[in-house]
Formats: sequence, C-alpha cells, structure tokens
Amino acid sequence: MAENMYDLVIIGGGVAGLGAAVYAGRFQIKTAVIAENLGGTILLTNDIANYPGFRQITGMDLADKLKEHVKDYNVEIIEKKATKIEKCKEGCFKVFTGEKHYHTKTIIFATGTEWRKLNVPGEKEFTGKGVHYCALCDGAFYQNKIIGVVGGSDSAAKEALLLTEYGKKVYIIYRKEKIRAEPINLERLNKNKKIEIINNTNVTEIKGDKFVKSVVLDKAYKGSKELKLDALFIDIGHIPLSSLAKDIGVKLNDKSEIIIGREAKTNVKGIFAAGDVVDTKFKQAITGVAEGVTAAYSTYHYISENEIICGCGDK
Amino acid sequence: MAEVTVYSTKTCPWCVKAKEFLKQNKIKFEDKDVSADDKARNEMIKKTGQMGVPVIDINGEIIIGFDVERIKEALKL
Repeated sequence: MAENMYDLVIIGGGVAGLGAAVYAGRFQIKTAVIAENLGGTILLTNDIANYPGFRQITGMDLADKLKEHVKDYNVEIIEKKATKIEKCKEGCFKVFTGEKHYHTKTIIFATGTEWRKLNVPGEKEFTGKGVHYCALCDGAFYQNKIIGVVGGSDSAAKEALLLTEYGKKVYIIYRKEKIRAEPINLERLNKNKKIEIINNTNVTEIKGDKFVKSVVLDKAYKGSKELKLDALFIDIGHIPLSSLAKDIGVKLNDKSEIIIGREAKTNVKGIFAAGDVVDTKFKQAITGVAEGVTAAYSTYHYISENEIICGCGDK
Repeated sequence: MAEVTVYSTKTCPWCVKAKEFLKQNKIKFEDKDVSADDKARNEMIKKTGQMGVPVIDINGEIIIGFDVERIKEALKL
C-alpha cells in the first residue's frame, strides 16, 4: 500500500468541503482535504444573516469555525492546489498537487467557482486599477468616489450595499430589467439614497489612464453613453471549477456544473460532489454544507459496501 | 532580518490571512491601513500602480495578493 493512501480526498476547502470533512472525520475514514484556499469564497462575504443558527456572522468567522471543527477530527489538511487527477484501472484515483500525489478510493469535488469576467476592452488592463471583483477586499479605496457595480443578482446587490459605506454614489448596471436580489436586500437597495440602478444596459468598454475614469454603455443614460466613475466592481456570477472532474469522465451540464443525484453521487463510481460546483439551483452556504455532508455519508457507504483494492502501480 | 510591510484594509479577508500567516511564522511586520491612512495609500499605489490589497513589501520585493509561495520564497521559509 502506498504511504499516502486515503479512503477519501476532498478537493476544495470552502464550506462544502469542510462540511464533508467534519462528517468524514466522524465516520473515521482516512481523509485528506486538498485546498489552495482554505475557507473558500465565503471569506469574501462580509455579512451572513441566512445561515440558520447564526443571526449574523462574517464569512471569515464562519470559515474559522468550520476549520476549528474539522480539527477536532483526524482529517489531514493539505494547503495545495490539486493540479491533476488520474483514474487507475482498479477503481482508485491519484490526486496530484504538482509533483506530489495522493492515492484515494474516493473523491468529493467541492471545488467551487471562480468569478465570471465581463470580457470587455479595458477589463484586464484595469484589473486592480479600478476594476475589482470583491467589494469587501478593495472597496475601502473608494471613499467618497463614484462606484459602479455590474450585475443584478443578490450577490451584486449586497456588493452595492457594502460599497455605499465607502462611495458617495453607487450605480448598479444590469443588463436586464429587474434586480434579482432577495426581497430583504431589494428593500435595502430601494431605500438607499446613494444607489442608482441603470437597467437594461451593458458595459461595453472600460476607459481610463492609469486608473479607471469611465465606462461606455451600450445605451445612453441621462443623455450620454459614457458614464464617469472611479471604480467598477464586477459581480456577474461564477464559473464552476469543474475541469478536473471533467477530465476523469464526470458528466457536466450545459453550465459546466457537475451533475449529482440526491446522494451527491456523480456518474463516475467513487466520485461525489458538493457545493457551488454542482448543478443545484439555489447555492447557499447552508445548502453547500448539506451537500458536503451528504457526499461524506455516501462516500462512507460506498467504501463500507465495496471492497476496493487500490493498486495504482506505484508506492 | 527581513523588513516587511503589509498594506491592508480592515475588512479585506486576504489581508487578515496574510497577516495571520506572518504571525504564525514569527515574522515582524509593519501594518499600514490604506483605508484610513492617505499617506500609506499613496505609498502603496506608487509602489504597485494598483489598488488591490494586500500588498506585502519584503525587503523591497513587492507581492500583490496573498501569494503564499512567493511570500515563503521572499522570506526564505
């Protein structure tokens, strides 16, 4: 048996991966979490008021609590990026982190998502120079400035609300008619005098010199297609990080999300998935954790019910 | 001993992580809050030409973002 032989490798250290890790630890199966960013995207959320049991908590605190909880159990945490996965003939897998690799009988993909880019001229050039993707991270630079937010989701609404703490004016630029925020956040948007919504409009270009100075809209707003602002925060959704899963034959839907069943199983034996990377519609911290827990349970049963002899051909 | 400055804001999660990492490795650093200190903000923009935090200056080597591998390398950890 190879030295680094696991029953389960969880790829991803966000709330879904950590939720899975707690249960895997309790089921006493040999588990490793491989994650580049322990805590995951929840770290970038300032105010969580919809995780039952916690009336208000920051993403950082919630992630810390989950990490501490995982540490109560015998789960190994490897803070590296999983770079490649190989499937061995015998039904085992090798998970690579650069040159090193780990043998495992099962994998839970909790790889989450990355920010979707706007893909307009100027976006790349001005990233960090007025173009940002995280209000909590970089919003504080724009005290008394004019800020734009692109997007119409609940997350975009929350970013805009947070940015009103810094900027003197916050425009929400959305390609459709109605902002899709949770009713409670929509009410906050409507009450906030600093926020102005520009709907049915796209940003087609970001302009500036050293830093962002304006954006070009595809439709005139108050008589002009050019809107002056100092920063543009882009929040137009996420792209699932599912390419590692795809490479070993895991089925994805047309949004590149991993298709799972109620038991968090994928189409590949021994492969499970949970969290923002899967094909569930309502992606919340609490639902991600629940999927992680279900995936750990399914993994435990799979390992208990199948005699898996792992032989990937090397020690 | 390495001279380390961290440019950060109070709310930025990766800044908190970067500072935690330095503390865990017993690295002394100067913490400059660019959201409250204009001088520090201008200094950071001058050094990096951008406004993303954290920025970590290790003996003049500028690292933008919480890039553990580069931080380790610069500090020879």
